[in-house]
Amino acid sequence: MNESLKRGLRLGLIFGIVFIFFMLIGFTNVAATMIGDILGNVDQASVNPQLPVLNLITFTGLMGFFTGIAAYKKDANPSWVQVLIVGLIAGLAAALLVVGFILLIGSLNAQGVDFRTYLPNLGANEIQYLIFYTTPLAAAQRYILFIILFSIIGSLIVKLFSPGSPVNIALNSLKKNTINKLDVETLKSALKNRFVLIGLLVVVAVLMYFLPFVWGSYWNYIMGTVAIYILLGLGLNIIVGYSGQLVLGYVAFFAIGAYTFALLTAPQPHAIEMNLWLAMLIAVLVSTIAGLLIGLPILNLRGDYLAIVTLGFGEIVRILIRSDLLTALTNGPKGVTNVGQPFWRGQLFTDTNYMHLLMLLVLAGLFVAKRLKDSRTGRAWISIREDQTVAQATGVNTFRYKILALLLGAAFAGLAGALFASRNQFTGPEDFTLMVSVNVLCVVIVGGMGSLPGVVLGAFVLKGLPELLRELSDYRLFAFGALLVVMMIVRPNGLWPVSRPKFIKAPPEDCQDEPVEVKV
Amino acid sequence: MIEKLKKTRFTPRLALRLVIAIALLVYLTWRVVQVTASEAVFGPDTWLRFLISGLVIGGMYALIAIGYTLVYGILFMINFAHGEVMMLGTFAGYFMLEAFSTIPGPGNQEVNFLNAQPIIALILTFIVGAGVAALVGYLLEKIAYRPLRGAPRLIPLISAIGASIFLQNAAQLLFGPQRRQYSNPDLLWRGTGWMIPVGDKTVMLTYTGVFSFVLSILLMIGLFVLVKKTKLGKSMRAVAENKQAAALMGIDVDSVISKTFLISGALAGAAGVMWGIHNGLFNHYVGFIPGIKAFTAAVLGGIGNIPGAMLGGMVLGLMESLGPALLGLDFQIKDVIAFTILILVLIFRPSGLLGEALTEEKI
Amino acid sequence: MKIKYILVLLLVTAIVLSGCAQQTEEVMETEEPQETEEMVETEEPQETEVVDVEEPEEESMLEVCLEDEFGCAEIPSGETIKIGMGAPLLGDYSMFGTDISQAVSLALAMDDGFEGWTYELVAEDTGGTPEAGAAVANLLVTDPTVVAIAGHIFSGSTDAAIPIYDAAGLPMMSPSATNPDLTQKGSAVFNRLAFTDADQGKSAASLLYNDLGFRKIGVMHDGGTYGQGLADVVQAEFENLGGEVVAYEGITPGEADYVAPLSAVAAGEPEAVYFGGYAADAIVMMNQWAQAGLEGVLFFGCDGTFGVEFTDKTGPNGEGAIAASLVPPDSPEKTAFDEAYAAEYPTEAGELSAFTWSSYDTGNVLIAAIESVAFVEGDTLYVPRGALVEAVRNTDFVGLTGLIKCDEIGECNASGPAFYQVVDGEWVPLDLGS
Repeated sequence: MNESLKRGLRLGLIFGIVFIFFMLIGFTNVAATMIGDILGNVDQASVNPQLPVLNLITFTGLMGFFTGIAAYKKDANPSWVQVLIVGLIAGLAAALLVVGFILLIGSLNAQGVDFRTYLPNLGANEIQYLIFYTTPLAAAQRYILFIILFSIIGSLIVKLFSPGSPVNIALNSLKKNTINKLDVETLKSALKNRFVLIGLLVVVAVLMYFLPFVWGSYWNYIMGTVAIYILLGLGLNIIVGYSGQLVLGYVAFFAIGAYTFALLTAPQPHAIEMNLWLAMLIAVLVSTIAGLLIGLPILNLRGDYLAIVTLGFGEIVRILIRSDLLTALTNGPKGVTNVGQPFWRGQLFTDTNYMHLLMLLVLAGLFVAKRLKDSRTGRAWISIREDQTVAQATGVNTFRYKILALLLGAAFAGLAGALFASRNQFTGPEDFTLMVSVNVLCVVIVGGMGSLPGVVLGAFVLKGLPELLRELSDYRLFAFGALLVVMMIVRPNGLWPVSRPKFIKAPPEDCQDEPVEVKV
Repeated sequence: MIEKLKKTRFTPRLALRLVIAIALLVYLTWRVVQVTASEAVFGPDTWLRFLISGLVIGGMYALIAIGYTLVYGILFMINFAHGEVMMLGTFAGYFMLEAFSTIPGPGNQEVNFLNAQPIIALILTFIVGAGVAALVGYLLEKIAYRPLRGAPRLIPLISAIGASIFLQNAAQLLFGPQRRQYSNPDLLWRGTGWMIPVGDKTVMLTYTGVFSFVLSILLMIGLFVLVKKTKLGKSMRAVAENKQAAALMGIDVDSVISKTFLISGALAGAAGVMWGIHNGLFNHYVGFIPGIKAFTAAVLGGIGNIPGAMLGGMVLGLMESLGPALLGLDFQIKDVIAFTILILVLIFRPSGLLGEALTEEKI
Repeated sequence: MKIKYILVLLLVTAIVLSGCAQQTEEVMETEEPQETEEMVETEEPQETEVVDVEEPEEESMLEVCLEDEFGCAEIPSGETIKIGMGAPLLGDYSMFGTDISQAVSLALAMDDGFEGWTYELVAEDTGGTPEAGAAVANLLVTDPTVVAIAGHIFSGSTDAAIPIYDAAGLPMMSPSATNPDLTQKGSAVFNRLAFTDADQGKSAASLLYNDLGFRKIGVMHDGGTYGQGLADVVQAEFENLGGEVVAYEGITPGEADYVAPLSAVAAGEPEAVYFGGYAADAIVMMNQWAQAGLEGVLFFGCDGTFGVEFTDKTGPNGEGAIAASLVPPDSPEKTAFDEAYAAEYPTEAGELSAFTWSSYDTGNVLIAAIESVAFVEGDTLYVPRGALVEAVRNTDFVGLTGLIKCDEIGECNASGPAFYQVVDGEWVPLDLGS
């Protein structure tokens, strides 16, 4: 019981601090507005000040609710009374912290102290809102009430759904019944049927063709960015995921590909303006050569040294592009405008055309990456990744395969770069900062290192998801950072981990005549 | 040495490296001679200014680099969020100085506390700045790194990147994105200093610069003493050498690791406050670039090696300041020069300037 | 394995489709042009029989949309007429973006709207970089209710965005993009109220040579389109007048330590140093002025280094620095605007940047242009884009900053820059008598 109490107390304190933090960053406002959206009272909110207060109280209640849920420790299997007490303690701890804070800023605000120079989210208006437009003391009472109440409710609800309780038993039997009704086996065998597969593929292909027309320019733009990041992710996946070389300067190849394409097709500074498809090819080639040049000297560096050196290369490329030294070549910090755009049936590429092109290239890239993984080269990479010395000892030419990985990765990045420059009609040195390398690395690792569907999913989550949550755009990066940490702790293999081939040996049963099954 | 030379086989790769090394050395020496002697663009006063600037910033890089190296030596992970730890130290110092500059001084009501008792104010500011940063480092380890101990190396790296982004944006959301300025005490006002005559010109040796440099050296000496002479230092070295053996010897590995993070955080925090006092302007982004540069410095000196980090920091600071001028190149590409030197050092001496070679188990 | 691919694609499609439930309205709008055309055509024969003479005019108004090169923007009732902007709202240069977006917002808010539709400013952050300028432009052209652009704010960001807006038919009116080359590119959509750096640079060089009597100056810039453009004009002009430019150095914006490039400039022993760039970097430079050996040397800045941020953060180190600003002459309208601005926002007009009043004028110019071509049909407001581009180019408007009349290439400047100096921590008009 003591354990539960301590846990409840600790979690209550943590949630109290989190709530205060949310107040300090202005998240309570945003959350309350979102709740107002859900409840549908946003329009009247500007007229009736009580409605935002309601939203804020709802948010407070939610926080209390989560406190209660977290405080409950399933394994301990406490009784109802214990749950009540734990919920109470947690809620009390959180409430006391919050109330202390509210009273402090409320009273200071009443005396006229302006926090805004140091804490911009605590202007006078915001503080008034936080104390529900009444006095600090009255607000404090409400906070205590709602937090403790909802904390208790949270704990009780978790108890309700935990194993052994009537609700849980009912749910389990419901699950069993429905699953029995679904014939999973026939479903699986149906999917293996060739015609069904082809049918599904046709449906998806048709969908992918028509979607860019339907969902509008905005989504074409966003999904185009996602597609470019998928290509980048595929390339880095080969370097980091397959062959295990930690490269933090991947953006260098991206930049080289983009700038090659831009400089070959833009009217300034060089007015070469060659055929766009040819330029794209050349961009990929130049990028690959860069991969060779960068890779050769650093091949015998390992681990973190490789990381910092490649990081250095990434920065060197960016700084050189923008420097005075190479301005005659690259146009310096002003960037390259009017980058060439391809033609389709006599007209300039529209965003749907770009989307189709990108989709095709992504599919091609996925195909190439998949074939590489399942080939001898892929296995060589995996052996290098697992243990380079042993790989070398068993006869794998590590030098050749590591360079090959770099070259392929650079090629992917070059292609992605050319498309990026073309679509944006502009490219500049600040498009290729260290953060881009970090983002691509996160796409690969959050998706699942070495896993192709993982890369696709990672790109969607890291690039597409923030667009869906545009109201929270101020908090985007903040949530991104927290998400990364949480993901690594909770699911380090990634969202869609690579499925290693399993070596399953069925145990021999009393030495039968039948051979032992070995499934690979 | 001669024995070793006799034993080395002259593979084509080795020959290539030697050729490149000699060519580079020749080119560099020629450039330097050309710039200093024949072109004589800069007088001795300008060179002195470059030198001073390089030393001051080198000291700050060294402090942050030590933090990286301490953590790497023990956990073999790159603490990407170390720059943000420094940033939070800068913020903490800022708030302390702001508080001091608004409170009236003891006795004399006209002067604020900051100017009435600058030394006490500064000491307290540094303590609080280093303390806050140490606390952040400690929490960072507890929340983001400890659950991942034993995971393959990339996982804690991503977690560190996530923590870095989180802290940067938390600071931006809490305190706003605008740049703030440190209110130095009048004694240590930015842009004032001793005037040193050099030839017929004078060079200013800023008070803040000297202060930062001296403090950096003192802190580095303090850390060195800690690691070499105290029991804690011995435990740290033991844990860095071999965690299991240290645990078997009765050392509380978790506690030592936490203390390491506390110390590295404190150093970064002190560097952060120094940065604020010397450079003045900062915002939530102030830790990012120095973090990367300090990491470069740590690797340059040999990662895991504390004197290496100190040397690396100083060398990097000096290279940034003197490099472009010596080579007759633009100041804009000082980072290129720094990274190129790093790459060259690593190619020819893969374990860094002073570093121990990484053994296979440690990788 | 193949199943997984398909499932991923389906899942992803599902997520995206559910996520763009809000966007379906926009989707409907982009499809409508075809539908309304058909409806108009089928309805015409009936209407001409039944109704009187006014109807044919209404029909021909929708024909305007058909004939227009870029079509019409359609804004259904309940939506706002959007004016886009790419400005540095976050980061080191945020004082410009904040000031300018606030002034334009105020202009839009003070207007009564058009036939029931109100105006709204969609300001996206560019951080002042050309890359983000292009990205913001690409984003704004996907929104069908954005009809005009008040911007962009920084010359580099504008430069990158112009081709994108040209292709999409969105007219631009910039209050602050001053680089001379911007109007030399043959763009049909770009216009600006701001003075050009050609003028500013010449005035600065003339002031330095003739009025202040300097013969040796150093020139520094931050590498950007604006900064370096200005520095080059000053260098050329100063040398034309007979002076000597003893040092020409570029800095990388955003750093904390400029002692090295400043020392290099000091080595040339200039009498004054001209800087083309923004306040954020100028502040750092001024605070390291003495350290670098430039004590006593005059700092001559530009409209980018003006503002309360500079005087605040340099303190006594900034005494005597010169910059350019654009303060219009007093008038009842100016006073009214100043009061409204101070009431709505925590700073005063002209404090954060030199462009508060020209931004207010920009907002009003765009409103006037929109209202001259827009028309209402049924429940929807139609704004013919091509006609709007022309209307903005043909602006003839009297604003706070004076008469705003655009020439064929889009220069609509009403008044040139005035130079200011820091005296006792405040910006006061430059007094050449001293």
